[in-house]
Amino acid sequence: MSLPLIRDAVIFASLLTMLSTGLTLTYMTTRVPNFAHGDFATMNVYLNLAIVHLLGLSPYLGVVPSFFFGGAIALTLYLAVLKPLLDKGANYVILMVGTIAYDMILLSLINIVADYLNRAYKILTRLFQLKGFDAELFGQPMIFVVAPLLSLVVILLLYFFLSRTKFGIAMRAAIENPSLAEVIGININLTYAFSWFISGGLAGVAGALLPLYMTCNPDIGVRLLISVFAASVVGGLTNIYGAFLGGLLIGLAETLGTGYLSMMVGPWVVPYRPVIPLSLMFLTLLFAPRGLTGIEWRRMFRRVAQT
Amino acid sequence: MTIPAVFFIDLLTIIGLFAIISMSLNLEFGYAGIPNFGKMLAVAGGAFFVGAIPGRVLMLIFNPGGGVDFVQGNIEAVSMLNQYFSSDPAASIVYLVLSLVGAGLAGAALGYVASYPAIRLRGDYLAITLLAMAEILRVVGDNYSDFIGGSMGVRIPDPFRWVGGEARALAAALTILAVAVLVFLYLELVLRSPLARALRAMRDEELSAEVYGKDVVRLRTKTLIVGCAIAAVGGALYAFLTASVSARDFSRVTHTFWPWVMVIVGGAGNNVGALVGAGIFVTLRKLITFYKSYFEPFVPFDVVWLEYLLLGLALIVVLLHRPEGLVPERPTKTLARRELEEIVERVRSEEPSA
Repeated sequence: MSLPLIRDAVIFASLLTMLSTGLTLTYMTTRVPNFAHGDFATMNVYLNLAIVHLLGLSPYLGVVPSFFFGGAIALTLYLAVLKPLLDKGANYVILMVGTIAYDMILLSLINIVADYLNRAYKILTRLFQLKGFDAELFGQPMIFVVAPLLSLVVILLLYFFLSRTKFGIAMRAAIENPSLAEVIGININLTYAFSWFISGGLAGVAGALLPLYMTCNPDIGVRLLISVFAASVVGGLTNIYGAFLGGLLIGLAETLGTGYLSMMVGPWVVPYRPVIPLSLMFLTLLFAPRGLTGIEWRRMFRRVAQT
Repeated sequence: MTIPAVFFIDLLTIIGLFAIISMSLNLEFGYAGIPNFGKMLAVAGGAFFVGAIPGRVLMLIFNPGGGVDFVQGNIEAVSMLNQYFSSDPAASIVYLVLSLVGAGLAGAALGYVASYPAIRLRGDYLAITLLAMAEILRVVGDNYSDFIGGSMGVRIPDPFRWVGGEARALAAALTILAVAVLVFLYLELVLRSPLARALRAMRDEELSAEVYGKDVVRLRTKTLIVGCAIAAVGGALYAFLTASVSARDFSRVTHTFWPWVMVIVGGAGNNVGALVGAGIFVTLRKLITFYKSYFEPFVPFDVVWLEYLLLGLALIVVLLHRPEGLVPERPTKTLARRELEEIVERVRSEEPSA
């Protein structure tokens, strides 16, 4: 296995886990597959681009404002669109179309910002990278260390939050049984809103780091969305740790799978890369709709052992 | 032709195309409640069929063993076929009709494939699965270059070439509108049939429909086969309009999300709603594109993006304030108006004696 390939796979899988845990978190609370999730990240790709070029700061410093900006974007979607729709008793289709509408707005804003930065400040805003602004650590690009580390910290913090803090436990209660949680005085709306803020914030962090790893374009969120959905679906859509596992699995399968196949079969397989997450998602939904975490592994092993 | 004439013909053509697609989605979602977020699957499928099959068959007929491959020697092959079709209206029409029928059959086959998850999954899980299926077809079409030329796309023989010159656009528009009218009439008939009542029963309360003996699996399969066939004809018509097929022309935004927006804005569950939705959406887009040169000097970005912004905002406003759409669903009248009035008369006259 070549080092660049492993590096690519590790960075991609780490960024994907941050996106898929967020997507799963909002699906658990609000029960809507959020089609705008990819563009939560893209908004912050451009925020970080502006921070690096206009303020001259390190791209790693941009992670902090990106977290809050991404959170604010997601919170707006919940408070301005989804909450009013939920109050009117909208079904999941109306909610999905609501996220699509919000995504159209985000996509247009992203392109407007990209055009503006390009015309007013002569910054390259299409098909650009920020790899040149990355530092080196142990002879490797720093993102190779930062991305997996951050991804681990995020999932540990989420674990700590959901199992050790009062608010986190309240959130789990609100997810499990909203009406019962309301009866014992949990503010469901607040917990849901907070889940959207966290979700957008994590997408923002992933978005800020993306240009350090790959070539970015205004449509990068739309393209990444497939992998993010695949990761969440493989993880079972109702389990944060499943989403983390799914992110790792899809990220590694996509990068290593494409890398290996292109070495074995030929480089013509590279453009078929999206087929890997798509088919994994397709197969999971058809044969194990509750994902990796929904399978009763112990029972399955027992059955396999018997035969 | 004058500029307004060109504008209107273009406008009506695109409205016709999207009307066909959104009416098919209305059958699937509005009548039957199947969340087909893979609408692009059938639309692209129909276009891909037209790009891949008729041209090859024609080359076998007109140039057997001529050594010109339809995709490899695409320009040569198409100009040869075009030369033939430009002088033979009858052959052009046969080619057009047979290709549309073939595209419809291809769409029906895709609908059958799509029914595999649709009878096993429900709700958002089904929506995501169908979305994934559509994306897989697009990725294959975009990369497998022997199929429809990969990212380069293919040109296809033009069935409207014999009309010639400026009248070509008019001929294409009339064809598309004629198909749209046929689809509308067909779906209106379906809407008044027992089948539609069974579909609505299934949509509103699947378990009850099953209790009353409705075969839900069969109904869902049937709906997807018909819906996808109609959408595929729409995709094929788009290919004939541009006389080319490219996987790059299809994306989940333009051919899945936009039809959804049209159906939701217009009002799900009735065909007029789908038509109104398609009309408003396409007209708004066209007007913004038409007048964008006026805004261009005042804003530091491409005006196309304002279009997305306005459409997104308009959609959210409709969702919040008129979730049933501009034309809400009404109970269908299964008897003629006169018969209904007679019944009302009779009941009224019997009331006092009872």
